[in-house]
Amino acid sequence: MAELLYRKLVKQYRPDLPPALDRLDLKIRDGEFIALLGPSGCGKSTTLRMTAGLESVSDGQIVIGGKVVNNTHPKDRGIGLAFENYALYPPLTVRDNLAFNLRAHRVKQTEIDKRVAEIAKYLHVEELLDLKPAALSSGQKQRVNIGRALIRRPAVLLLDEPLSHLDAALRVKMRTEIKRLHTEQRFTTIMVTHDQLEAMALADRIAVLNDGKLQQFDTPLQVFNHPANEFVAGFLGEPPMNIFAVNADSNRRLVVPGTDFALPVTNYVGRLLGHRTSVRLGVRPWGIRVSHTPSEISVPGTVSVVENLGDETRVGVRYGDMLLMASTVMTRIYKPGLKVHLTFEDEDLNLFDQNTGERLTA
Amino acid sequence: MDSNKGIFGLFGSILRNFVLFLYALFVLFPLIWMVILSLKPDEHMVTTTFIFSPTLENFRAVFGQEGFLRSLWNNLVVSSLAVGLSLVVGVPAAYALGRYQFKGREEIAFTFLSFRFVPEILIIIPLYLIYQKLGLIESVSGLVWVYQLISLPLLIWILRGFFEDISPDIEGAAQLDGYSWWQVFFKILLPMVKPGIVAATLLGFILCWNSFTFALQLGGASMQTSTVSTTRFLASDTVHYGWVAAAALLSSLPGVILALLIQKHLVRGLSFGAVKG
Amino acid sequence: MASVELQGLTKYYNKRRALENLSLDIHDNEFLAVFGPAGAGKTTMLSLIAGIATPNSGTIKIGGREIGGLAPADRNVAMVFESYALYSQFNVYDNMAFPLRSPKFKLPEDKIKERVTHHAKVMRIDHLLERPIQALSNGQRQRTALGRALVRNPDLFLLDEPLSHLSANLRHSMRVELKEMRTQLGTTTIYATHDYREAMSLGDRVAMLNGGHLLQLASPDDVYFRPASIDVAKFFGDPEVNILDAKLKSSGGSKLSLHMLEENIPLPLPPDVVQVLNEKHTSKIQVGVRPPDVRIAREGDKQAFHATIYSFEPLGTRSILTLKAVDGSLVRALVDGHQTFEMDRRTQFRIDPHLLIIFDAESQRFLARSAEFSEEP
Repeated sequence: MAELLYRKLVKQYRPDLPPALDRLDLKIRDGEFIALLGPSGCGKSTTLRMTAGLESVSDGQIVIGGKVVNNTHPKDRGIGLAFENYALYPPLTVRDNLAFNLRAHRVKQTEIDKRVAEIAKYLHVEELLDLKPAALSSGQKQRVNIGRALIRRPAVLLLDEPLSHLDAALRVKMRTEIKRLHTEQRFTTIMVTHDQLEAMALADRIAVLNDGKLQQFDTPLQVFNHPANEFVAGFLGEPPMNIFAVNADSNRRLVVPGTDFALPVTNYVGRLLGHRTSVRLGVRPWGIRVSHTPSEISVPGTVSVVENLGDETRVGVRYGDMLLMASTVMTRIYKPGLKVHLTFEDEDLNLFDQNTGERLTA
Repeated sequence: MDSNKGIFGLFGSILRNFVLFLYALFVLFPLIWMVILSLKPDEHMVTTTFIFSPTLENFRAVFGQEGFLRSLWNNLVVSSLAVGLSLVVGVPAAYALGRYQFKGREEIAFTFLSFRFVPEILIIIPLYLIYQKLGLIESVSGLVWVYQLISLPLLIWILRGFFEDISPDIEGAAQLDGYSWWQVFFKILLPMVKPGIVAATLLGFILCWNSFTFALQLGGASMQTSTVSTTRFLASDTVHYGWVAAAALLSSLPGVILALLIQKHLVRGLSFGAVKG
Repeated sequence: MASVELQGLTKYYNKRRALENLSLDIHDNEFLAVFGPAGAGKTTMLSLIAGIATPNSGTIKIGGREIGGLAPADRNVAMVFESYALYSQFNVYDNMAFPLRSPKFKLPEDKIKERVTHHAKVMRIDHLLERPIQALSNGQRQRTALGRALVRNPDLFLLDEPLSHLSANLRHSMRVELKEMRTQLGTTTIYATHDYREAMSLGDRVAMLNGGHLLQLASPDDVYFRPASIDVAKFFGDPEVNILDAKLKSSGGSKLSLHMLEENIPLPLPPDVVQVLNEKHTSKIQVGVRPPDVRIAREGDKQAFHATIYSFEPLGTRSILTLKAVDGSLVRALVDGHQTFEMDRRTQFRIDPHLLIIFDAESQRFLARSAEFSEEP
């Protein structure tokens, strides 16, 4: 297992179009699990394919274990790739599927048997070795898929949307298994996904990409609690962060024009605001406290919609075009039409520059 | 493939273009030669190659030949009617094959396709005997019917793919919106498969127009199509290559012009149905 | 406005049983959420009611009238398909106008313009009326499909997984908007979905289907807190409910307590639960514990179960903690996101017996749950 570096990596498909990947700089430590997260078209799959050698590099370098691999053939790069669509060979048993790669490299049979047994143990597929892919469940196929990528003892494991084809319940279980597996074996892994829950749950660090550019590269909790910009803030977290435009009025309040929303500016918010007169305000649903009683710093509103989702209740308060969603633990006390008062803690408020989208910090 | 690879860049591109040029020459040469022949007067036929004084007398002679213009007309009538019949029969067939699940579906579809596999010459003798018994020799309807073997499989093959690509939800939605099934078929489904219909119709027409064997044997003397009447110029005492070339050129011209005009539709119509999202 | 009655509805596709003997009553002006995984029979049920498929047996009544022989056009039912089924050759306006131009309605063009613009405003696509369908985003297409159904003022509104092709964030906002629009939909609605949140939020009642069968028909609260069977319990809630084996032991008098996970930690059952268990003479039970109800306990807590941390998945506001109990079972907990946990570290957890859902181990069906749980934190 090895360290992986991307140095100003660029992918340009056509000179007249913007680059699919624009100067990506990442340093991935040995044994780390990295998620490349972003919407479709953000450049994450392109990066993975360049790392595997399936796509040529337009500019910049990919360095695996200290060696620049731009022009190295995929089979010599020391990578193991687990495809999105499994691509297990149907007529071969699981054992033969796992051994296929090694046989192609003319590894000795005794060594092949040893490695197959080893991998089967790590991935808990020992009972499946003599079955054919058609007899396996999705989850089992996925494990064999990963096993096939790992058996050559690659320096880096590449996972391409590994859970996207599984149904919800299985996805949650497989996520736990992959997390467990990685904690036990600690193989350097790069996973591509558009599902932010997956990235949050599995990665040591997440690289958030949009339009070919790196937005932020940090641990899940950092990216979640301290997003670098509006895009990252809105992309991570379910339910999504409420983000809306506000103006600073003459009474030191942040208001949504034409509505009752008027949030008194605290010292902290004032410092962030600086001399700006308009800004975009972001607050996560769990960061809004709903109450029957007003206070000095509360914002009044009328409940427009209530969702009872079992362990969570969501209260929606409408301010003009904007519907502000607050989450609380399950409760029955809110009904549409009720007058409520919302309070916000400083630490739950995020301000974003309305032009650059960057999150403002003190 | 990235063409930024230095050395191969410029050289590869010149080589590529040269090879393509040679190939184009190879393919177009017969056509070019035919044009040259048709413009050469008899005297220069065997003495010169490319340098000669062009003349239109070959064309004059061909038009003057009895029956040639008539044969062009026959071809037009027969080909149009044949494609028309294929549309009436083939569109519903393509729909059924594309939409419904029933036993023997693939077998029937394959049977239609298989009509194109059989060389015409193989079945011409029994077909002639049958036609004779039925009195269909030298008739328009006889040729229109046998031409279904040419245009129908094509139409069904192309349109089946189109119909398969249309989600059955669309039919359901239109019915719920208040339309009967027939109205849905004509107002919604047919417009959606229009590119396929255009491509299949035009291609079918071209193939029928160029058809030779069936027209020769089953058309007889009075129902000659232009493909057949061109050969008459070969059977005279001296071979007037100029006349043959002129007749062949005139005969093939409609097909070539049509194909050039509808290239765009052909590509769209033929590939659209085949590529899955 | 109409009630809907389904009696013994059965539909086979070749050998595959899509619906089996489905009987269900939907009240006038009710919003019924039909919930189930892929292949459960939801789309089949909607197609049969709409008339675009015919049942093998059974009857369907709308407004008390049997509609078996009626063509789809005559049923006054509007349907929004999962694929939207928009007419790609028309723009937004013509898509929405299409039903009003049909032989069924034949409205004059000025009336059509009135209705289309009104509903386009409601769906907030009035600025897109001239656009061709291909130029719309997924979210905009979905609103156009909804608009096209609304424009007809139908008796019955059928929605087949309308949000499933939208991105996660868009799904949340559209779902809430649909709930806000509930009064504007103003008519009996049947909404099919595989997302339990949509079912619980939008439905007045929830009908859970699986394998062509009706598993439960109840209010969202009942389906969540009193699921009819273990199968139903597993489908509602994220992460999935923990199902654990348990033994009942008498603890003096008429009291019963629960032993789980092979630990000698008795959980005293609330009296109302005990009463039900005694009435039913049940001895073999299984217990459902929802992940948010598994609480990490302080060290040394005598009432807490022992476990090691098998996996820790931070999701932002909350985290999923998978605990490996003494008997090897995996128990999932949903905990506050601010704490971090180390793999394989020993820890302890508590379960409040008031929050347990008790199932009969043999029939897998619901037995009891205490009514004494508190609503406020």
